[in-house]
Amino acid sequence: MNLDWLQVCAEGQTTPCVAPIQLAYLVALLIGAVLLVVIARRARDLTTATLSLMAVAIAINIAVGSIAVFLRLPIYLDSIGTVLVGALAGPWAGALTGILSNLIWSILPIPGGAGPTAAFFAPVAGVIGLMAGFWANRGVFQVRTDDVRVGGFLALATGILGAAVAFLVVQATVGIPDLAATEPDVLLANQTQFVLMALGFVVVGVIVGWLAGRTVFAFQGDDPRIRPYLQVATAIAAFVLVFGIVRLLFAPSGYFSTVDGVLDDGTPDDFLGGASLTGLAVQDPAGLIGAFVVALLVGAGALAWARRGDNARLFPVWVGGLTTGLVAAMISAPIAAGVFGGVTGGGTDALVALFRTLGLSVFQSAFAQGLTSDPLDKTISYTIVFLILGALPITVRTMYSRGETTVAE
Amino acid sequence: MSATTGYFVAGASWLHRRNPLTKLLALGLVLLAAFLLPPVVLPILIAIIVFVAWAAGLLGPMARAMRIPSVLLLSILVVNSLFFPGAKDILVSLGPLSISREGLTFGLASAGRVLVAFLASITFLFTTLADDLLEALISRGASHRISFVVLSAVQMVPRMQGRAGAILEAQQARGLSMKGSFVRRLRKLVPLVAPVILGSLVDVRERTFALEARGFGARPGRTAYRVVADPPIDRWLRLLILAGAVAVVLFALGIIHP
Amino acid sequence: MTVKADGGVASPNDRTASPAAIPLLIEGLGVRYPGRREHSLEGIDLPIVRGERVGVAGRTGAGKSTLTLAAAGFIPRVVRAKLDGRVVIEGIDTATAAPGALLGQVGIVFATPANQLSASKQTVREELAFGLENLGVARDEMDARIDATLARLAIGHLADREPFALSGGEQQRVAIASIVAMGTSVLVLDEPTAQLDPAGTASVADLLDELARTGTTILCAEHDPTVLGRMDRCLVLEAGHAVALDVPGVALASAATAGGTPLPTMVRLAEAAGIDLAAAFDEAAVAAGLQARRQGPGILAERIVASSPTPDQALSTWAPTDGRPAVRIDIDGLVHRYPSGIEALRGVSLTIEPGESVAILGQNGSGKTTLVKHLNGLLRPAEGRILLDGQATDDRSIAHLAATVGFVFQNPDEQLFERTVEREVAFGPRNLGVAAAAIAQRVTHSLTAVGLLAEHSTNPYDLDLSRRKLVALAGVLAMDPAVFVLDEPTTGQDADGVARVGAVVEAMQRAGRTIVAITHDMEFAASRFGRIVVMREGVVVADGPPEQVFAPASVELLASTGLTPPPAARIAARMDLDVVPLDAAGLLRALSVRG
Repeated sequence: MNLDWLQVCAEGQTTPCVAPIQLAYLVALLIGAVLLVVIARRARDLTTATLSLMAVAIAINIAVGSIAVFLRLPIYLDSIGTVLVGALAGPWAGALTGILSNLIWSILPIPGGAGPTAAFFAPVAGVIGLMAGFWANRGVFQVRTDDVRVGGFLALATGILGAAVAFLVVQATVGIPDLAATEPDVLLANQTQFVLMALGFVVVGVIVGWLAGRTVFAFQGDDPRIRPYLQVATAIAAFVLVFGIVRLLFAPSGYFSTVDGVLDDGTPDDFLGGASLTGLAVQDPAGLIGAFVVALLVGAGALAWARRGDNARLFPVWVGGLTTGLVAAMISAPIAAGVFGGVTGGGTDALVALFRTLGLSVFQSAFAQGLTSDPLDKTISYTIVFLILGALPITVRTMYSRGETTVAE
Repeated sequence: MSATTGYFVAGASWLHRRNPLTKLLALGLVLLAAFLLPPVVLPILIAIIVFVAWAAGLLGPMARAMRIPSVLLLSILVVNSLFFPGAKDILVSLGPLSISREGLTFGLASAGRVLVAFLASITFLFTTLADDLLEALISRGASHRISFVVLSAVQMVPRMQGRAGAILEAQQARGLSMKGSFVRRLRKLVPLVAPVILGSLVDVRERTFALEARGFGARPGRTAYRVVADPPIDRWLRLLILAGAVAVVLFALGIIHP
Repeated sequence: MTVKADGGVASPNDRTASPAAIPLLIEGLGVRYPGRREHSLEGIDLPIVRGERVGVAGRTGAGKSTLTLAAAGFIPRVVRAKLDGRVVIEGIDTATAAPGALLGQVGIVFATPANQLSASKQTVREELAFGLENLGVARDEMDARIDATLARLAIGHLADREPFALSGGEQQRVAIASIVAMGTSVLVLDEPTAQLDPAGTASVADLLDELARTGTTILCAEHDPTVLGRMDRCLVLEAGHAVALDVPGVALASAATAGGTPLPTMVRLAEAAGIDLAAAFDEAAVAAGLQARRQGPGILAERIVASSPTPDQALSTWAPTDGRPAVRIDIDGLVHRYPSGIEALRGVSLTIEPGESVAILGQNGSGKTTLVKHLNGLLRPAEGRILLDGQATDDRSIAHLAATVGFVFQNPDEQLFERTVEREVAFGPRNLGVAAAAIAQRVTHSLTAVGLLAEHSTNPYDLDLSRRKLVALAGVLAMDPAVFVLDEPTTGQDADGVARVGAVVEAMQRAGRTIVAITHDMEFAASRFGRIVVMREGVVVADGPPEQVFAPASVELLASTGLTPPPAARIAARMDLDVVPLDAAGLLRALSVRG
């Protein structure tokens, strides 16, 4: 199999390879063009209520997103409006909201805007809107804890978990091929191997998810297992998420190990009052055990919380957010790497710098940063949208035909 | 800077009088050249843009606007020159940090591209009213409904910022202290951000009714009040720009050589 | 229920009138929203002849907004609801009208000025063109139609202004103009003056008169009796049913007798004078009637009893959970400058005694809000100082001052965010570190005081704006500060709501709290506050008890600030009385003693 077309140039390498920048444009242009054509056709069907919601949603995206940039948070929070429109008015309106948000943000004199940064990520925002609409149609914002559709979400989550476990197993046994190899031939071989492995992980995930959906999670009618399963799944999800975040922050080379009270350019970082947090990085194995215990406690807490009332229905919301984040990371990484060398002027730059010091390439750092920020960001955004939809007055919600089908009472 | 006109600087220069579409295409050509051609063209592009801005009397506003991308440009330069994977040619070492030649080159090229994109965009925004641009696009077949969304979103952002200020006052008056640790301040974002979002969404209903009452999108055959000038020279300019774009793409693909 | 329509200036007694004479016909109208059992409107019959102005009155939640939406053809086309009966506009049945068919026939304007504009245009002229563009009017005709509209509505001076930079009253007039420019012959309004100051309200009311005179048919839902009083007829709604349809004075009077709503002052006085209620809003007629009664048979005694204010004790159960000493406020030579250098306050000195209640009056832009924002540190003085009980406020943070000074903002939507009313009210005391048990008690007390205890677990945004304002008020009551600052607490409230807020103010006074309120409502200021401060262009121009500030001698000074005394004081002035009554009861008492 010839995978030359996929080979991304190493730093300094000239031929034969696809420069990340060209790849980024190819991907962005392709997605952008397809989206624009479809959206232009769909835009005629948008109602006045949808259009005025979109205007507000765009303003929300930009306003909240610029606060996140200003505070140098390691997440974006710039797609709350996009997800909201996707949920209330459908995928196409959501996609258009995302694209327009990023284009308009670029021309506004506020943090994160005033430059082409946001505009380059417009295709990503479009895809986020599409996915939000897709998930809303599948009922992520609506399913109750005794809904048979819960099975699908559980199967999907199991699939994702399966792929992740496969990755960890391979990493621990065979090892992940070195993508920072300097020898062109070795690099090519490693890259090919990596792509094949990645495909393998996806296949494993799909099979695990499919099997789970057909067997354990094949619910019918008002199956009494649905509620407890969902509650346990919520607890496991919380465990995995917290474990990941704690490791991300407190691992020996985690986020806090880089916060030393000084900005990249040498000036004091007054956001945290010049505090050095490097001492918060906990060495292994104490750190590993600590993270495990903390995550376990939080998981137990999540279980107790999920058993109260209908709280467990946030689980599908998180599945939606997580998958949207994964897709967003995959599309945005080449753009970030190609256009800005991964640096976009926001709080996520600290993550990029961190991954670079760990020895990852420009592209890999951008991708790793995306994989860290995006799923978390989208999960938070989906949760916020879920809460907003719940708080939305009935008079506003009923203006949208999907308001009743995609939103829980 | 006005809330409704954005960066627009009123004037009657040669650049101001061009049709918005001409300027939009020119902006596209500059971006294409900056990102597809080798980095050596970047200084030339910057010189051209600065010259055009000078001719239109916009050097002052442009200089003032430069503080906006400064953080991003600095970030790109610093992160790349300090943390460049696989760098061998070290220029300066400062303790654990070292500036590499590869990193500096890559950083300069990236920063240069972003700078060109910024300067070209800001020159465009200085001389073009969003209303004129959208009306020109509508006359070329763009959707006036989407244009409306863009215009009203642009006007809503400053309103929402004003609203955020009022909310900050109101919550502080209810005893919300903005002091405390980072995590505490993050938690306090909820009472600050939630009213911005909810309050704006509540307004959507009345705004929709107001638009419906004025027949927005109810009938085909919309007419336009705003007249956008399109002098004959603009048509020639647009042809020239398109030819230039084709040349840039052909060069980038290695089909033609200078 | 059948309602007789008689006595109107131009009422359509002739039921066979041609459709051309009845541009808006409402017949047997019923509306039920999806998911609700009860009808929001039932059995409404209302034919309106050309050039007639019909007001719609009734409590918050009585169905006024639903009626305006239906009359403008928004139900069921835009708002999904089940519609019985029919609404016919210029011969077109709204239920079966083709999309766009009603365009240019009917238009609607709502309460919040900023939401009535397209939010996408640079000038008022372009804003007016927005509707014409959508109608597909040829470019050559547009300017003529815009100029004609600007001239007809006398707002030509606004033509080149930015819509967003206009005052609320100007924005509402531009919104009406942009609908009229489309050639609309039926204009529907839903509380168009609810968020305007007296000058803005008067300008909109004048505009409606002018429109009706030149042939526009008007249906206007309102709380403000000064606007309702200028209508030709008035429909009063009660729980979705029409309870009265008559000239404003008669309709409001009969509705008050039937439903127990507080009677507007002018109607109460007209009743006491025993004159034809059709003339209830004619000050000269009412004054003459009262004069005649006083010299002749005497004021109708039962009217005095009937018109004495409802006992507020039933409303105001609020009492603070723990006593605290009253606080004195000293404002000394206060100057505030905007970044632009313009002085918003030009040397204000006031001493407010502990437990005093002060109403601050003045036009928009006179510096009222700027002044009170200094009391809790939202603004810091450029010159001069603020002392609370002798202590300087300069070095204390807003959040710290919040424990002493409670501030109720004008717009509740700039602070509400919690899932339930209860949690929202608890937010303030929680910030102050009050113990959980005490918070629960305070929340209950405060919600009871504003009459929203039953809504404790409702989402605040499912309440309408007037009740959201009460939630914000309850939120500050629960913080139980020594000083209350209220910014426009009564705007948008119906008569019940105003009485409710008034009762809360009196309860605060009984508890020994110091109160400073900004208000445009002269009657509210006169009847509930012991001291009135009038501001103009950043300085205090009048300061004293209401009897002094609203005395005939001060009328000229008041007029220079765009204000007029409350109706009872105006009538007393017309009758050359030497007392200054603050409400209808006060005037009648003064007359009965003499009579």
